[in-house]
Amino acid sequence: MKKQLSVILLLAAAVLLYLAPAYSQEDMTQLLDPAFTTHQRPAAVFNHDGHNEKAEIEDCSVCHHVYEGERKVMDDSSEGTPCSECHAVDAEEGTPLRMAYHRMCTDCHTAKGKGPVTCGECHVDK
Amino acid sequence: MSIPGIRDRKIEDVGLQAGVDRLTEDQIQKTIKKVLKGETGAKLKLYAETCMRCGLCAEGCHYYMSHDKDPSYAPVSKVRQTMWEILRHNGKVSPEFIYGCAQIAYTECNMCKRCAHYCPLGIDIGYIISVVRRICHKLGVVPLYIQDTAHSHSATMNQMWVKDDEWPDALQWQEDEARDEIPNLRIPLEVEGADIFYSVIGPEPKFRTQLIYQAAVLMNETGQSWTMPATPGWDNSDMAMYTGDYEVMGRIKRAHFDTAMRLKVKRIVMGECGHAFRSIYDMGNRWLGWKMHPVRVMHAIEFYHELLEKGQLKIAKTFDTPVTLHDPCNIIRGRGLMDQAREVVKAFCPNFVEMTPNREHNYCCCAGGGVINCGPPFKNVRVEGNKVKAEQLIRTGVPVVIAPCHNCHGGLEDIIHAYKTGQELKFLIDIIYECMEKPDAVE
Amino acid sequence: MNAAYEFVVGPLAWIAGAIFVLGSIYRLVSMYALAVKKDYSSLPYMDLKYSLRSIIHWLNPFGTAGWKASPWTAAVTFIFHICLIITPLFLLGHAVLLETFHGIEWPTISDGLADGLTMLVIAGCIFFIIRRATVDKLKYITSGMDWFVIFLVLATFLTGFAAYHQWLNYQFILILHILAGEAMLASIPFTRLSHMIFWVFIRGYMGSEFGKVRHAKDW
Repeated sequence: MKKQLSVILLLAAAVLLYLAPAYSQEDMTQLLDPAFTTHQRPAAVFNHDGHNEKAEIEDCSVCHHVYEGERKVMDDSSEGTPCSECHAVDAEEGTPLRMAYHRMCTDCHTAKGKGPVTCGECHVDK
Repeated sequence: MSIPGIRDRKIEDVGLQAGVDRLTEDQIQKTIKKVLKGETGAKLKLYAETCMRCGLCAEGCHYYMSHDKDPSYAPVSKVRQTMWEILRHNGKVSPEFIYGCAQIAYTECNMCKRCAHYCPLGIDIGYIISVVRRICHKLGVVPLYIQDTAHSHSATMNQMWVKDDEWPDALQWQEDEARDEIPNLRIPLEVEGADIFYSVIGPEPKFRTQLIYQAAVLMNETGQSWTMPATPGWDNSDMAMYTGDYEVMGRIKRAHFDTAMRLKVKRIVMGECGHAFRSIYDMGNRWLGWKMHPVRVMHAIEFYHELLEKGQLKIAKTFDTPVTLHDPCNIIRGRGLMDQAREVVKAFCPNFVEMTPNREHNYCCCAGGGVINCGPPFKNVRVEGNKVKAEQLIRTGVPVVIAPCHNCHGGLEDIIHAYKTGQELKFLIDIIYECMEKPDAVE
Repeated sequence: MNAAYEFVVGPLAWIAGAIFVLGSIYRLVSMYALAVKKDYSSLPYMDLKYSLRSIIHWLNPFGTAGWKASPWTAAVTFIFHICLIITPLFLLGHAVLLETFHGIEWPTISDGLADGLTMLVIAGCIFFIIRRATVDKLKYITSGMDWFVIFLVLATFLTGFAAYHQWLNYQFILILHILAGEAMLASIPFTRLSHMIFWVFIRGYMGSEFGKVRHAKDW
């Protein structure tokens, strides 16, 4: 009995350990927003720290922006707030979540002339 | 330009040879450009451009089916060997090429439009072939025999060089003959205001006079108000339509309609002819600028059907020998008389057997479209080109074939002999005449 | 590679779309004008009821003499055309481009379904190619244009299929796919693919003549 319990606990711990990186920004490798209930493509590859280092981004609000109406609030940022709080998946008004992600990445990549812009470069088949 | 096909089966014809001997490539190009620019438009352009070369039309053609699916006989292949080459070379083709075009267009396509039921796009291959014929006509490259009938039309307003006085003579002769059987019978000439102008084709006074006799009996014994003209304009046939001589087609159709109007008749009833019906109902009227025929036009089948419905035509006895019915293209695919034809046949013939395919999908007789009128040089073309029809006739297993069309008669007769089907061929009027009540007949 | 991609999904897509739309309008309008000028012995016979009667019958793969005589070709033709139209129109990847670039919401089918439909289009192309290369009656009438249009369709769908599965050099294949698709779109008004815009009128005319004048069916 005791032996069985310890096996279950061990398994649970392993699962937790395995899942943890997805939720901790330091080691995140992909964008897997829980707001999306069904996934039509593999999650977009995204190494948070590696990306920012390479792109030389220090200001969190470049991505984690805060808007008041049409205007971006310059000295505020929204890290810690899920994107879907403002960008609902099926938003009638404003920018729905999928569009928000796609535009956030590709608009910048296009403007800078660097980074992936086609579907399969981010949504890589494993 | 030269692919296997028509070049491997050239048939000597004096008309075609004399025609191409006069031509140069420059003349040909000039004439073709004139026809294409002056007389064709969106239809031909779209047909040439959007034909997907899928080959589905092949199974629609009796020539293709009869030649063990030789690809050069498929409807699209006939266009491939003629119009597409003409378009591709902008009309710059050789006299020899024009010979092949004429041979294909005049003798290897009946313009029966059966292939229309096989083309998903809805391309009218019969029309394309008619444009090829028009070009050949303009170039003076037409088979001798059919050109002769077109000349006859032009000179006499009838197909068979029947002289003006021979026509009433032939009618009087038939009237005389018929009065032996029905003493009060008349063939009324020039009766102004009659209900019906009964019109026939040139060959009837020439060698199928029994048809005039029988029609006169039908008119007389069912009490019709009818007349025939004593002047040119009596002939409803039209080989000029098939040679591509639309100017002459227009002249003879105008003469025909003018005659009907001069006689102030209510309608034209015509004998059992297919191509003449096409000319009056579909082609000639358009050339003259009439959307539909300016005087009501009725094919014999429609007329018989009406007589039966009105109770004017009574049946004395039935025709018990098993019969089958051949659906002529110009009045079935061309006018939708398949049900009326069957009702008339069944009224007289209790033992009626359908041939298959039938109705709109019936195989052509291979004589129509002017092919039989191209004469003896091309007889084997249409006999060999219609094995499939002979097989169809044999499959019915009946001794009598009814074909309510003159050209079909000519074509089927040759097929029946060549393939020894042993069948007897009849017009509907043959059966009606034999089985109808004739109250005024002696004996 | 990014610059090339941005060019083909940007300006080139607009150019291809414009050629397709404006070209189609030009072809339809000029063809109608030509028909008015030169085909007035045909044009007045056009009839909506009988046009539709003919079109509807020919949209039934078992309903006409032509389809019945060649049932395999009929089946492939229908599957091919249905998949050919549905797949690019409702593909997720295409809809996301519309959404990202223009904020347009567009219905989509699942990628799994699209994958299957694409395979059917490719299979259809292979069927048509083999048929054209081996059947006598087709060999007799085939011209360069026939090969051009079928290979254009095949190229578009093969590269699309490969790009979706990220085979070989993904970016390169994707750009090829977009180029092929744009070439196909721009070719519609000016090649044999124009049957897409003209079919209803050609079919409708035949249906009108058979329905109104000939009182017979044309199927």
